Amino acid sequence: MDQTEVPHVNVASSRLQSVIEALSYASVDEFDSCLALLQLSNEKDEFSELETAFSIFVRELGEAKSELNRALTQQEAANRELEAKLETIEMQQAAIRELSTPIIEVWQGVLCLPVVGVVDSQRSAEMTETLLETIVSKQARMAIVDITGIDVMDTKTADHFIKMARAVRLLGAECIVSGINPGIAQTLTHIGVDLTGVRTLRSLRDALQLYLRETEQLVVQQKSHFARRDSEI
Amino acid sequence: MSGKAFPIRGRNEVIVVSSHAGRMAREFGLDARRAGELAIVVSELASNIVKHGIQGEIILTLDPDSPPYGEITVEAHDVGPPIRDLKLAMIDGNDDQGPIDPALYLRRGGIGTGLGAVARLADRLEYRDEEGGKTITARFYR
Repeated sequence: MDQTEVPHVNVASSRLQSVIEALSYASVDEFDSCLALLQLSNEKDEFSELETAFSIFVRELGEAKSELNRALTQQEAANRELEAKLETIEMQQAAIRELSTPIIEVWQGVLCLPVVGVVDSQRSAEMTETLLETIVSKQARMAIVDITGIDVMDTKTADHFIKMARAVRLLGAECIVSGINPGIAQTLTHIGVDLTGVRTLRSLRDALQLYLRETEQLVVQQKSHFARRDSEI
Repeated sequence: MSGKAFPIRGRNEVIVVSSHAGRMAREFGLDARRAGELAIVVSELASNIVKHGIQGEIILTLDPDSPPYGEITVEAHDVGPPIRDLKLAMIDGNDDQGPIDPALYLRRGGIGTGLGAVARLADRLEYRDEEGGKTITARFYR
């Protein structure tokens, strides 16, 4: 093949050099520096067409890259938001777990178990377990189970509930069930639950008053007992 | 007809799905007592999924056009083993193997009256064994 038939382009080595430099800028994402280098030459020849094509390619690459970065930043923000939400959900779940059987020591030796929400057989079993354990650990003398927040209970669950009250008695404490609504009262009598040994009062307030009255009586009795003993001596 | 599925993974989901069911029932026009009963049924079925089902979900469906006045269906689906003896399991204080020792109530996580309660409170109860699981469907009529 004859060499002269192939068209040649003469390029100054400095132009070649700047294209190579531009490439190396592009490879490290320095698109602005890269474009600046490519636009330096003002010559119009075949090599400048290559330079132009190259600079268009680089500009588009740069735009795509910055678009991607924007999307990534948005994605990261969304991720952070999602993580925050997940954390909130976890905290709420922990709160739900705690709220499902809260036992409050309202007075020394007096525990209160306010029951709200849905009481199914499993929850009834869990409440019994927790209440009995707490009575022992806190050495409580009285437990008030307030079911004002409960509209309806299955008959067997109600039965188990009353058994819980009796189990409290076996531990040497007294159990008061307060806030029974008409529906549950019907359920309990309908199945003929034995209510002996279970005190029921209208409200939590009544239950606390009863406790205070009884401890007062106890104090008075003790005082008079000591007074009598003192006078005997 | 609009069905909503709740995957059941633990006790939290039991609480969430049953309170949702109660709200849904009141909005559907059931009175407070019936809505409470639906919530209990959902709670019992969801508890059973946690205890025996390995993995499962509750699907709540409102069907206002079901004759005569519309109904709510509760489908409890899980991939656990089938209930061996349904009649036995429905008796209070029993699971599908027989009577439960009261000393085991707590370790078992229940008193064996769950299915009984579901049967007492729902208007209609269906049980279906399926390939790789089972579905219990409870219906509440409006």
